Amino acid sequence: MNTDPADTQSPHLDLDDLLTEVSGHAIGDRAQEHLAICKYCRAEANRWNLVAGGVRGLAAAAPESAQPARPWDIAPHVLAGPRRRTLLAASAAAALLLIGGASYGVSTALTGHAPSTARTGTKMAALTAVSGCASLEQADGTLEQVNGTSLVIKTASGQSVTVTTTASTRASMFSAPLSDITDGASAIASGHSSNGTIEATDVSVGLPQIRSGQVQTPPGIVSAQGTVSDASAAGFTVVTSTGTQFPVTTSSDTRVHLFHASLSQLQADASTIAVGHVEPDGTLAAIAVLQPPPGWHGQLEVGGCSPASIDDAITTALVSGR
Amino acid sequence: MNDRQPDAGATTLATSPGPASDDAQLLRRIGQGDESAMAAFYREHGRVVFAQVLLVAGERVLAEEIVQDTMLAVWRGASSFRGESSVRSWVIAIARRQTRDRLRGRRLRVVDDAFLADQPGSGPGPEVMALDRAELAEVMGAIRELAPPHREVLGLVFSSGLSLPEVAAVLEIPVGTVKSRLTTARTALSRKLNEKGQNR
Repeated sequence: MNTDPADTQSPHLDLDDLLTEVSGHAIGDRAQEHLAICKYCRAEANRWNLVAGGVRGLAAAAPESAQPARPWDIAPHVLAGPRRRTLLAASAAAALLLIGGASYGVSTALTGHAPSTARTGTKMAALTAVSGCASLEQADGTLEQVNGTSLVIKTASGQSVTVTTTASTRASMFSAPLSDITDGASAIASGHSSNGTIEATDVSVGLPQIRSGQVQTPPGIVSAQGTVSDASAAGFTVVTSTGTQFPVTTSSDTRVHLFHASLSQLQADASTIAVGHVEPDGTLAAIAVLQPPPGWHGQLEVGGCSPASIDDAITTALVSGR
Repeated sequence: MNDRQPDAGATTLATSPGPASDDAQLLRRIGQGDESAMAAFYREHGRVVFAQVLLVAGERVLAEEIVQDTMLAVWRGASSFRGESSVRSWVIAIARRQTRDRLRGRRLRVVDDAFLADQPGSGPGPEVMALDRAELAEVMGAIRELAPPHREVLGLVFSSGLSLPEVAAVLEIPVGTVKSRLTTARTALSRKLNEKGQNR
């Protein structure tokens, strides 16, 4: 193998020599002399160098791994994979994100069932019950207008529901413009990595700091979590908590998810749901307003009536509907 | 050509882990329940182990869980380390077993050497030419698409900091088989690149 009299009379470098050369370690004098004159072996060394560079590039591009929980903490709780996965999803629904692809282990907060409770009156008929909390109602339709702190949702049946909000009402949206990625915002960018740059398919803005282990990405997708800096039309930089900087490029295909939007950021005519309590005048006092992923027509299912439970359900809705 | 340095057979092909004696000392302390030693162990080996597991498993969350299982196994089994291998190869072998267990019956198709041997050799041809023309980014992308056993051997040889004998020990195959698997992996990579080039 590897004999090529046109190049040299000496045997070519064997794989050990080539790998040693690729590793940057010294090879023997004879091997060095041969490499200097043998274009075949230089080409082979270059090929292995490229392969090694690709492997090391992938390793370098691998996102920071979350430091595992302390063994003395997790030891009593070690479970089989699927069950632990479920527990992870259930206990951290607000922080469990699926960035940029199909669902992996997300405990869904969405159901597709029809309104479960008969209503009386025009306003009430436009609302549906929220599974998991009997006192909550949901308006589901398109955003017709925003008037200060209130908004109007037009349901599929053509009825308009007035939704009132307060400062504590949470608004979230699945598809926001790139301009909503601003310096100083906390964000997770995910996408394919190219030469150390993340070509973002998804950017989630306004998340609390979460453990990276709670970010699920499909194979081939990397993600970086941190603070946005140098935001521009072409991209931005994610600065992690450790100071590492990840350049991120964006395009018209990049999906931007706002976990805490203002009412003015909501998109008119977009699919919108509001969850809250019905007032005596028939308006809905919203605890949360969500513009969900396109094509989603499900219902919220909450784990309880608390704002935190609703918050969890909204977050999961945002990330599980892709 | 076999005139390399006497220790070249055990040459580390990537960033070397810390001195073996330090690692062994860390493991002794971990075996005694020293939490700070466990944290230091993770700092020393965690990233390399994670990168290798991620390369094979392909899913970040799964890789994190496997690394966590691996570190738990280290915590529990540190006192069983006999010093018959380097600590780095010991922990990577643990991670490999954890990965295999987690992927078994899921989506990892176990490819044995008989299958790998059926793959084309590495003689010069269009595929080698594809490798000659390829950019680093293309190579990285193509590596991601290789079969797990190919990704595994490439990661172990070029990124884990193990010598070829150590890689052989981790994979539980002879050194010669590591080399042939490595060559086969490169051929598969070249073919991927060639396919991509033709599809452009």
